[in-house]
Amino acid sequence: MLQSKSFVKKTKGGKVVKVVREHYLRDDIYCGASICKTCDSSVARLSSDASTIIIVDTNVVLNQIDLLENSAIDEVVVLSVVLEEVKNKNLSVYNRLRTLCSNSQRKFFVFSNEHHKETYVKAMVNESPNDRNDRAIRVATQWYQKHLGSAVRVLMITNDRENKRKANEEGISAETVESYVKSLGQPALLDLLARPASEDVVMDSVEDLRPSKRKVIYSEHKPMSEITTGLHRGIYHQGKLRVNRYNPFEAYVGSESIGDEIVIHGRTNMNRAFDGDVVAVELFPQDQWHAEKSRIADEEDEEDESVHLVQSSADDAPRSTNVQGSSADTTPSRPSGCVVGVIKRNWHSYCGSLEPMPMPAGAGGIAHALFVSKDRRIPKIRIQTRQLGNLLDKRIVVAVDSWDRLSRYPSGHYVQTIGEIGDRETETEVVLIENDINSRPFSSQVLACLPPLPWSVSAEHLSDPNREDLRHLQVFSVDPPGCRDIDDALHCTLLPNGNFAVGVHIADVTNFVHPGTPLDDEASQRGTSVYLVERRIDMLPKPLTEDICSLRSDVERLAFSVIWEITPQADIISSRFTKSVIKSCAAMSYVEAQARMDDSRLVDPLTTDLRNMNVLAKIMRQRRIDRGALTLASAEVKFQIDTETHDPLDIGMYQIREANQMVEEFMLAANVSVAEKVLKHFPFCSMLRRHPTPTREMLEPLLRTAAAVGLDLDVSSSKALADSLDRAVGNDPYFNKLIRILATRCMSQAVYFCSGDLSPPEYLHYGLAAPLYTHFTSPIRRYADVVIHRLLAASIGISKLPAIFQDRPQLTSIADNLNYRHRNAQMAGRASVELHTLIYFRKRPTDTEARIVKIRSNGFIVFVPKYGIEGPVYLTARGDNGSGEWLVDEQHQQVKKADSSICYNVLQMVRIHMEVVEPQPNRPKLELTLTE
Amino acid sequence: MVGLSVGETNFIRGGIAQDLRCDGRKRLSYRPIHIDTGVIPQANGSARVRIGGTDVIASVKAELGRPNSAQPGKGKVSIHIDCSATAAPIFQGKGGEALSTELAADLQRCLLGGKSGAGAGIDLSSLSIVEGKVCWDLYLDGLVVSSDGNMLDALGAAIKAALSNTGLPKVNVIAADATSSGDQPEVDVSDEEFLQFDTSAVPVIVTLTKVGKHYIVDATEEEESQMSSAMSISINRKGLICGLTKRGGAGVDPSIVLDMISVAKNVSENFINVLDSEIAAAEAREEE
Amino acid sequence: MEFVSPEGLRLDGRRPLEMRQLRAEIGAVSKADGSAVFEMGNTKVIAAVYGPREVENRAQQMNDQALVRCEYTMANFSTGDRVRKPKGDRRSTEISMVIRQTMEACIMTHLMPRSQIDIFVQVLQADGGTRSACINAATLALADAGIPMRDLVTSCSAGYLNTTPLLDLNYVEDSAGGPDVTVGYLPKLDKVTLLQMDSKLPLDTFESVMQLAIEGCKAVANYLREVLLENTKQLEYRRGS
Repeated sequence: MLQSKSFVKKTKGGKVVKVVREHYLRDDIYCGASICKTCDSSVARLSSDASTIIIVDTNVVLNQIDLLENSAIDEVVVLSVVLEEVKNKNLSVYNRLRTLCSNSQRKFFVFSNEHHKETYVKAMVNESPNDRNDRAIRVATQWYQKHLGSAVRVLMITNDRENKRKANEEGISAETVESYVKSLGQPALLDLLARPASEDVVMDSVEDLRPSKRKVIYSEHKPMSEITTGLHRGIYHQGKLRVNRYNPFEAYVGSESIGDEIVIHGRTNMNRAFDGDVVAVELFPQDQWHAEKSRIADEEDEEDESVHLVQSSADDAPRSTNVQGSSADTTPSRPSGCVVGVIKRNWHSYCGSLEPMPMPAGAGGIAHALFVSKDRRIPKIRIQTRQLGNLLDKRIVVAVDSWDRLSRYPSGHYVQTIGEIGDRETETEVVLIENDINSRPFSSQVLACLPPLPWSVSAEHLSDPNREDLRHLQVFSVDPPGCRDIDDALHCTLLPNGNFAVGVHIADVTNFVHPGTPLDDEASQRGTSVYLVERRIDMLPKPLTEDICSLRSDVERLAFSVIWEITPQADIISSRFTKSVIKSCAAMSYVEAQARMDDSRLVDPLTTDLRNMNVLAKIMRQRRIDRGALTLASAEVKFQIDTETHDPLDIGMYQIREANQMVEEFMLAANVSVAEKVLKHFPFCSMLRRHPTPTREMLEPLLRTAAAVGLDLDVSSSKALADSLDRAVGNDPYFNKLIRILATRCMSQAVYFCSGDLSPPEYLHYGLAAPLYTHFTSPIRRYADVVIHRLLAASIGISKLPAIFQDRPQLTSIADNLNYRHRNAQMAGRASVELHTLIYFRKRPTDTEARIVKIRSNGFIVFVPKYGIEGPVYLTARGDNGSGEWLVDEQHQQVKKADSSICYNVLQMVRIHMEVVEPQPNRPKLELTLTE
Repeated sequence: MVGLSVGETNFIRGGIAQDLRCDGRKRLSYRPIHIDTGVIPQANGSARVRIGGTDVIASVKAELGRPNSAQPGKGKVSIHIDCSATAAPIFQGKGGEALSTELAADLQRCLLGGKSGAGAGIDLSSLSIVEGKVCWDLYLDGLVVSSDGNMLDALGAAIKAALSNTGLPKVNVIAADATSSGDQPEVDVSDEEFLQFDTSAVPVIVTLTKVGKHYIVDATEEEESQMSSAMSISINRKGLICGLTKRGGAGVDPSIVLDMISVAKNVSENFINVLDSEIAAAEAREEE
Repeated sequence: MEFVSPEGLRLDGRRPLEMRQLRAEIGAVSKADGSAVFEMGNTKVIAAVYGPREVENRAQQMNDQALVRCEYTMANFSTGDRVRKPKGDRRSTEISMVIRQTMEACIMTHLMPRSQIDIFVQVLQADGGTRSACINAATLALADAGIPMRDLVTSCSAGYLNTTPLLDLNYVEDSAGGPDVTVGYLPKLDKVTLLQMDSKLPLDTFESVMQLAIEGCKAVANYLREVLLENTKQLEYRRGS
């Protein structure tokens, strides 16, 4: 059974605990080459006609992962010693490498050299771990060459000079990355090479153009040991750096040690830290804490605030820079400081484009260019390219390699081209990449999990004792027009006792998506379908979403049903849950359903059912509002898209009808019923959705604005807030909605969580005023609902609970991923709307009404209700610091001219002109100007 | 403990008187000694010593601690002994505690010198890292696995072997300067470099067991049952006496005490040599 | 954490269904009636058996069967952290009881009425699976003492991590918090005499994990039989010379 030799590896962990672990060496680890005669070739990944097999060292993987991902590089052996080192140094690179190794299209083979009896090396006396690992790589390379014989050349790739020298001495062929890539004869590949920091000296050519030649721009980062000591003694503070999305020269570090956020002003103080880096910060003396400027743009001349969609929640709103209100001018109380060291980098690759520049004289040679990320929080990145002419008008992806003190900008390298700037498809692709959305077609393994088509309900389904036959019920669905993935349907019948039997039938997705299958894994990873303006990225393959699962009319479909008995007073007497077979009689749009209800001539059974339900829904809705549910408003817009060009034809606010609210009401009720049921059975492993109560600090901007217009809002509870929002009616009809929009954006987003991780009071859904809530009703497009379907099926005893629910950390990580995906999907949706707004206005300069929502020293931010967008209007010319011409009154939230001749108040209506301008070629943007 | 008949008792006593003990040894000769080092991998040092049927294991664990305020420049060493019930059923439960405590106290006396740490076999100042702040705390744990007499000598030998097997990780002090008040300095423990101990000054323990008019070394359990008194003397390589314990109720004439000490001193020379060569052989085996 | 790599190797290089290296030695304690050292990888225990002999405490004497007693202790240095535990803490008491019950079930106690058998198990190194190792050591020691037994009871554990059943968990795998199923098994009679599990596991997974542990027990039994046979040969050889 055991054919291995035992070894003992000693490591020192933590304090001085001596850790002893066994280390077994084996003789059944194969080389992975198909040509090999001695090894089991069933697991072979390297092709039989490979003339060269590459073995990479750790630093090559860490620095050149973009190159490795390029399909030009193949026949690679990844040693386990390399994997282990990469894992310890950079988890994201490790995951990328693992993906490469498991990709069946690529020829990457993992060789467990550390457990192979002929390639294991024991550390020698006084040999550092690094040297040992380098030696292990050389020994493995040598083993491969010996093992495979002369038919194949085994090449070690390393940029470590010492390692390469030793390899050559030992008769191993070794090359640097650069020379290997050059030997492939594809110059474009060279762009993918990450440039080592030392090469920065060559970069002088670009720096030379600047008047200040090679001077030290940033202060040195402190060595790690000093940082550790400093943190220990409380001189430095550790935290994650968050760059202000709306002002890239300002960042915040949330520090636990001082329990507050430290503000970092300017790039110099940020000292080369990127958004998301974990940094160590040193506080300035209190008298140097900056007074905060609430200006729209900031120092240097880079960018200014752009027009964007209004936020839907506090999570993606800019940090309110003027939190302490009027007191800000006199006693700045926010701690500020500077970054003294980066503890953990958050570098990844970024989407953007090159800064326009003239073509250098010797075209075709190496050019240096500056890359501007779409994400404004990221500084410009310096890259080298041999294809400048090609890239200038393209959207490209760039990765960061290094940032030394002498260079104003970090250095990076080109990764890939997405397409032409401004092209709708390219820009959509950028949106997807930036939000980490997987839009690749489903793999064949995933598609293999689908049932064969055409699919129909079989006798087997009907005879299943756990599945009720509800085909006799008059079930119908109401959805937005053109909806093809129908995941909910309803029915309502009058019972003999005068009560109603109301059913919510949800597509039975879990009947087709089984836990642990590639299909389930993929769906769990994607987390949600993503809705862009002109395109939808599905969570599940199309045959499922649009056909097999979709509850279309006049076909038999499997469903998971929630059936209540409801009194005419809309009290739920009983509820039950069952899998079922239904046959929808009508798939209506909201407009159709509304028209039926409104048309008093119609008295057919379907219309009667609709009306009954509507009556019930109205009572339920009123009851919910009485309980304190907030009716918040969002400024959702809708495009009319040209079917040919896919360009937007019209744009307008999304209209909400009674029919929408009716369907929504029953879906909410179903979700609540399911949440209660599931939690009762599985108190520790249910997946619920909660909406945290907003803190007073979060509501501060709302309160300040309200106070400025003389409105007193009570935010002590959701009920109080709902009531005071109801009372907030000005003389202007839009006023109430505007206040509601402002209130909505103060709230944080609702999140999924695992019930075992929190205590019941924290389960609260603030917005819905529901103590328990979950998502059950859209399993076709949300994975959370799939999870809940499985839980519900287990709680009514018709299926077993999948093993994953036994594992709380894993469940928590699923919830975290869903929140991440959900948020990204929303961001992508918004970005897509922004993109189409820009395309729309490109040909249509428009004058319209706007509302001032925020006051700044050189202008104000307006909200354009008609198009749901928000953007800055400048009162002073760019670069002009206001020079005292305009004065801001924080208390009354107004900005007025020094001579008091003109005054703008918050929430005031102004008329503006909207037009797309191109201050730089290929950089169109929407500009808002006052029309007086 | 050992149920012996009168005949057996007489046989043992007679044998000792005639310098021919039951197992064929002379009064001052030892049973075969076998030493293994590194038997407990997760300890910093360890050794197993077998003398005839007596089998003991000693381990050294080093932890970072704070020095005693009275001796800021010295590390701390403590000895703890356990008698496993495997060695004898009477050790089960709390049965072995009394003996364990006695053995630990004897070893402490023989190996660690006075309360101030002066005269210890181990140079305690070599355990200091930052004076008054950080030092090594050595925990010496002994376990009696099988007992057939002469446990103290075996434990002493095992501790000596374990100490010479011990490597302490090298400690780098990162911020010694900033140790303002009560702050523990930051230290970094090296993964690769180990410091060996100087164990040349660690004494050995020779126990002379008096049976009748004679005294013997390395008594077996049966022989120990016949003792009138016993003297444990710890002697280092230089022939200096480091500690001394007398056990047993019977009084001993002072001149005999002196005589016993000088005999012990003679025996110890040979014993130290045997131990050293066994330890060296064990270390060599472990290297392989 | 990844306990089984995509290449199918565990952290220490074993495959999921492999046991650690076994080593056993009979007769480690000269004074005892029977003794043995048993190692499973870095877990090392020593067992000594005293008896059958006169019952110490007459009140406990049984007229129809032998009294079996057991004590389990851990050496101070047996774990990575040096912890001074008082003898007879709850964990030790529980394991002592588990071992006693398991051994009692296979000793033919009715053949030795009015006598007492003491089993002492001392853990020298703990690296996961100590209770299994103790039972295996005790079996060998009992066999060495010549105490009549129905069968060679053996023990092995199995766990379930990264959705893979793993045989014979070591300390790192054991502390991952996953389920750990310990089985005591009579190979000839095909009977399970001890079954313990912490954490939870779906029933059908449990079945396969338990089956794996039983397979492990069988492998241990084969090894013990070899060791005993070799030992007997040695005894025979010595007697002959």
